[in-house]
Amino acid sequence: MLDLLPIFAQQIINGLVLGSIYVLATLGLTLIFGVLGQINFAHADFMTLGAFAAYFVARATGGNYLIAIVAALLVGALLGSIINGTIFSPLRNADETRPLVATIGVSVLLENTTLAFLGPVPYAFDSPYSSQVIRMAGLFFTAQNLLVVVIAVLAVGSLYAFMKLTFVGKALRALAQDREAAGLMGINQKQLIALTFVIASAFAGLAGAMLGPILVLTPFAGASVIVKAFAIVIIGGFGNIEGTIVAGLLIGLIESFTTQFLSPGMSDIVVFGLLLLTLAFRPTGLIAERREENV
Amino acid sequence: MTSTSSRWAFGSARWLWLLGCIAVIAVLPLIFQDSYWRGVMTICAINIMLALGLDFIFGYAGQLSLGHSAFSGIGAYTSTVLVTALGVNFWIAALCGIGAGGLAGVLLSVFAVRLKGHYLAIASLGFAVITYQILVNWISVTQGPLGIYGIPSPPPLTIPGVVTISFADQQNFFYLVAGAAVLSYLMLYNLTRSPIGDALIAVREDEISAASLGIRGTKWKVVAFGIGCAIAGLAGCFYASFIGTLVPDAFFILESFMLLAMVVIGGRGNLWGAVLGAVLLTVVPELLRGIGDFRLITYGLALTLVALFLPGGLSGVLIQFARRFGGGARGALSAKGPSHA
Amino acid sequence: MRETAAGAEVAAEALFSIRDISKSFGGIHAVRSVSFDIPRSKVFAIIGPNGAGKSTLLNLLSGNYQPDTGTQIFDGVDLAGKPAYQRARLGIARTFQKIRLFKHLTVLDNVIAGFHIHRHLPAWEYVWPSRAAALDRKRCHEEARDLLSFVGLADRADTVAGSLAYGQQRMLEIARALATKPKLFMLDEPAAGLNNAEAGFLLERLDTLRKQQMTVVLVEHNMELVMNVADRIFVLETGRQLFVGTPDEVQSDPAVIAAYLGEELH
Repeated sequence: MLDLLPIFAQQIINGLVLGSIYVLATLGLTLIFGVLGQINFAHADFMTLGAFAAYFVARATGGNYLIAIVAALLVGALLGSIINGTIFSPLRNADETRPLVATIGVSVLLENTTLAFLGPVPYAFDSPYSSQVIRMAGLFFTAQNLLVVVIAVLAVGSLYAFMKLTFVGKALRALAQDREAAGLMGINQKQLIALTFVIASAFAGLAGAMLGPILVLTPFAGASVIVKAFAIVIIGGFGNIEGTIVAGLLIGLIESFTTQFLSPGMSDIVVFGLLLLTLAFRPTGLIAERREENV
Repeated sequence: MTSTSSRWAFGSARWLWLLGCIAVIAVLPLIFQDSYWRGVMTICAINIMLALGLDFIFGYAGQLSLGHSAFSGIGAYTSTVLVTALGVNFWIAALCGIGAGGLAGVLLSVFAVRLKGHYLAIASLGFAVITYQILVNWISVTQGPLGIYGIPSPPPLTIPGVVTISFADQQNFFYLVAGAAVLSYLMLYNLTRSPIGDALIAVREDEISAASLGIRGTKWKVVAFGIGCAIAGLAGCFYASFIGTLVPDAFFILESFMLLAMVVIGGRGNLWGAVLGAVLLTVVPELLRGIGDFRLITYGLALTLVALFLPGGLSGVLIQFARRFGGGARGALSAKGPSHA
Repeated sequence: MRETAAGAEVAAEALFSIRDISKSFGGIHAVRSVSFDIPRSKVFAIIGPNGAGKSTLLNLLSGNYQPDTGTQIFDGVDLAGKPAYQRARLGIARTFQKIRLFKHLTVLDNVIAGFHIHRHLPAWEYVWPSRAAALDRKRCHEEARDLLSFVGLADRADTVAGSLAYGQQRMLEIARALATKPKLFMLDEPAAGLNNAEAGFLLERLDTLRKQQMTVVLVEHNMELVMNVADRIFVLETGRQLFVGTPDEVQSDPAVIAAYLGEELH
């Protein structure tokens, strides 16, 4: 039994790393849903484009990963701003499924345009940290893994501080709670929503930069994660940041353990099974509370 | 509303449309004799059935189902496994495929009925992913990613002493599938113009006031999914038989998005819009074969633009045209419009 | 709880008995331990200052909200746990404070939707329509037109509901609710946003309904309407019953007058 312990601990580490990436990937989705009640289906492709931006910038600067990360952040922010301006803002008062359908179209468009330009062959994105292996107490992880967790913690921490301490952050939370009331209090909704998209999509770009060296980098890299990201957002509770963090880490751990002890194919089934169970019994998420619809 | 004095629900204008469609279907394989275009027509008929089922669910009941292709896959695999592994007669296996598709639809909707909008969409997506993973991983039954080969066409139908119809013949197979598509259309057409359609539309438009009229939202969503997904199951059975090979990738998420595109671009909530979308998105890419990979880019762009600017889809545009320029066309084309705000 | 002598007789012929109904949202007690009886074939009005909990109370009666405590007996049936659609099938109809029409359907189709629970043909009759289905549809159309005449919308049958004027939309909602052939008809602030002429027409229609033995529950702010049409008035304040009685009794009760703080009650 004791010899299982190191495998166990290793899976915990793997799970936490994976979970950190999921958290970075999904925070943006949660933010957008919390403030606007909408889903950006192209979020995954922002991740992919962020990953590619990081890749090319890293190559152009002779391997400077940190600048590459910044580039990914900026690319994400830009994409977020564009999609807000072209789709979510004009459709603000429309039937709620229209923006979702539109972003599905954008997602297909982005994926295949990227495919046309960059081809289907995976790009080998090696960050200078991927090859540095750290051993601690019989456990392995790469410097890249450590970097991912560190950056995730920093990013989430800053978001938290922003939401709780700054005026703009509080305005965002007010907007998420009650759009009408927030509007009446003189909060400029359009600008806040635009800001939300910028932040959320910057997170997506960042997640992509983190993901690039770990996953296979193709135009469909983001798409492989996105469906799980949705699952996480729902399980954690749409719009609930704490919930998303917990759920993201949880899913990372579950996936890690399932892959090790069952089989890789089963991990998707387990995660989505959990999703459907959550939807069946607590559709507002594991952490959020239930509310009766206002008639 | 249709004329109430007529004995049939069908006004005379609609009989004309029906006969016209049957004529077109009868004539098509005679015009296009080569196997390539006959194949395209058959796939088109299959896509029409899929799009109709999705329109019933999304356009009429207002439930955004993002994984419709999965139900087609369930029907396809059910009938195929029954035929190839257990030697069951195709027609019976197809009935099982319909049942499997419908049952799966009911299962999903039982989960999803309390969910609104985005939650439902994600649940349907999750369901499609699980289905795909099951198809890929349950190798003992589905042969996994390698797929099932050598699927036979349906056995010949014999009317004793008169004729034997062989479905190995591409033309006959096309008639079979197109006939099923026409029957599906007719059935859905009649359902949507009945109190069943009234209930679905009420649930779509405003579930709360529908409840105040005694209409139970959850029940009707399940009905919509059950019927729409059963039709998808049948389409899957035909698909497997037609292609001869069955792999899980044929029912991946992208296929579901293509079906969504057909319904959105064609225009949802009036059935013929779904037909229009299916025909367009099946035939046009074949005509533009030369542009290869740009096919998907065009889909994505078209879907985005239509969702942004043409909420009623192409059928919505045509209906507007008809209203402005011809009163006569209006009766035949318009229907209880869905919410397009 | 304050009530008049007539209260005892009311209970005997009540269509709807409510006992100790409470509802809170988070920490807010919207309705606290309210009890009353709705007499048959009368107009029962629920009034009270803003925030008194009137709409919440109506939602509890209609099944849109489920109460935290208490019992509701409608025409001999215990409504515990029964959601809105089941109550509609038992004969409770309602309109909404914020108009909830099927805005993209025609006026006629809105009313026809209301007939749904009374159309009893088996499903297969509709897959390939039979003569029975055609006759059923014809009957629906005729009844729908009758209802539209009742609310004064007969000439707008083929108009899209969303394009009607506000007052007409209100009347359409009433016609649609009446299509369910209810035993109890509840209206949530039907006069809100209506001009004097429209309110007068509404008043007259409610009076006609009452003469046709319909039981009506009216949540309303418009005191003129209430005093003119109500047989019995229930006054709600901060979730609790303040008073129940006839219009005259209500107008002269000091607690009620105080609650409205100088508002004219006549």
